Amino acid sequence: MSITDLTSMGEPQTEQRKEINERLRRLQDEISDYCYQCAKCTSGCEAHKLLELEPHKIVALLKRGLIDEMINSEIIWTCMSCFKCRERCPQKVAPVEILFALKNLAVASGKQIPGNYTAMLQSVLSIGLLQDVKSITTKDNKTKTRTDLGLPEISKPADPTKFQMMLSKIAVEKV
Amino acid sequence: MKYALYPGCVMPTEQYAYEMSIREVMPKLDVELVDLKGFSCCGEPIKSVNQMLTLTLSARNLAIAEKEGLDIFAPCPICHLALSECKRILDADPAMNERVNKFLEDEGLKYSGTSDIVSTIDLIHDKIGIEKIKKLVKKPLKDLKVATHNGCHLIRPSEIGRPDDSENPQKMDKILKAVGANPLDYPEKLDCCGGLLTANLPEAALTKTGQKLKGVQDQGFDAFIDTCPWCHRQYDSKQTKAGETVAAKLDVPVLYLTQILGLSFGISKDKLGLDLNLSPVEKLAVVGGK
Ligand code: SF4
Ligand code: SF4
Ligand code: SF4
Ligand code: SF4
Repeated sequence: MSITDLTSMGEPQTEQRKEINERLRRLQDEISDYCYQCAKCTSGCEAHKLLELEPHKIVALLKRGLIDEMINSEIIWTCMSCFKCRERCPQKVAPVEILFALKNLAVASGKQIPGNYTAMLQSVLSIGLLQDVKSITTKDNKTKTRTDLGLPEISKPADPTKFQMMLSKIAVEKV
Repeated sequence: MKYALYPGCVMPTEQYAYEMSIREVMPKLDVELVDLKGFSCCGEPIKSVNQMLTLTLSARNLAIAEKEGLDIFAPCPICHLALSECKRILDADPAMNERVNKFLEDEGLKYSGTSDIVSTIDLIHDKIGIEKIKKLVKKPLKDLKVATHNGCHLIRPSEIGRPDDSENPQKMDKILKAVGANPLDYPEKLDCCGGLLTANLPEAALTKTGQKLKGVQDQGFDAFIDTCPWCHRQYDSKQTKAGETVAAKLDVPVLYLTQILGLSFGISKDKLGLDLNLSPVEKLAVVGGK
């Protein structure tokens, strides 16, 4: 799971770089230009030791416009969104939000979505929630539902058709 | 005090102990919880796929509470962050606000930014207050050595406005002191549970969980306290598996803050859903036996 050799890379994607920076501005986040490569973000990154994510390199690649390298790499999907990089950056750059932008871009350009994201998305589309209500097992192996536990009926979108129509309109939108 | 309870997804579909203990404890603290129809996911778990969906879903949920003129109580820190970030963006950028509201029209909803959003921690610590907690204690948790886990989303990014300090959160510790427990800082306090990686890298997620909990166990804590249904699913529901990833037999009682508060208020363990915790909570005197 690494980004291909930095020296071997081709043309920068300046248009996409612009698009990402504009998106960050719209989301009230600082743009990548202010990064001075101190790597403080990487030193505290929760995904660094375990999965070799290096947020400062992500920012460096974005600054150089080498977007394709990143959206073709699985590395962007290793961030666990702990927000430490964003919190601690002395320049107020937010590598975590850049990673969200890159993942969104990968999805929008038709790259395969890893893991369970598709299933989660489908569930939100059909019932409004990540997953449907489960019956659970207690420690002594009894099965319990919400009703058994005296909990009220779950809150869900009242008109699923309208809700789905709205979401399907957004699905093709970008931030 | 009156709040719309925004349950999110994980709590009301499987983490029932959190919901049960919230519904028991809050009325005792004079917080009236209002159930509203029509809520959906906050969208944060699918932010990686398309953040426009996240923004609109969050705005939609806020709009539902606004319609009733209510502030929102979001027990899940992930939901709390999603709703707070949505508010920050839509309140700062009229163009974004208009775009999102256009989508909400179909369901007859409108986001205008009038509802406040609180989490479990600031609701208890800032709004209800420590003094009120102290008055309700019937069974002080004498000398119970507890480790607190805030969860990343609860404390970061502070730019968005979070319930506690990003590097030195102490509110949960103060709440626990008020019921007689002994919360102590520990080196792994700010470590992430890895929960959000479950979607695509579940093994790595469990390793993060195992590493933190092993540290807690090795330091001799009696219990581990959290307020996030995603974290709790990692530390409690999947504790055995998490232990396997770090070659340890984990045996740490993990409880929601609202469960341990309820116990100290003398509420029965059944009402607090303690038989739903899969970690060894019965090891605690206040749960087992007596
Ligand atoms: S993003 Fe911030 S913390 Fe990371 S290298 Fe750049 S300036 Fe340093
Ligand atoms: S948010 Fe992601 S990139 Fe940033 S420190 Fe955490 S895991 Fe690393
Ligand atoms: S963050 Fe989570 S628990 Fe919260 S609403 Fe969204 S999916 Fe549900
Ligand atoms: S689930 Fe993990 S990532 Fe999320 S808030 Fe809890 S600790 Fe942080």
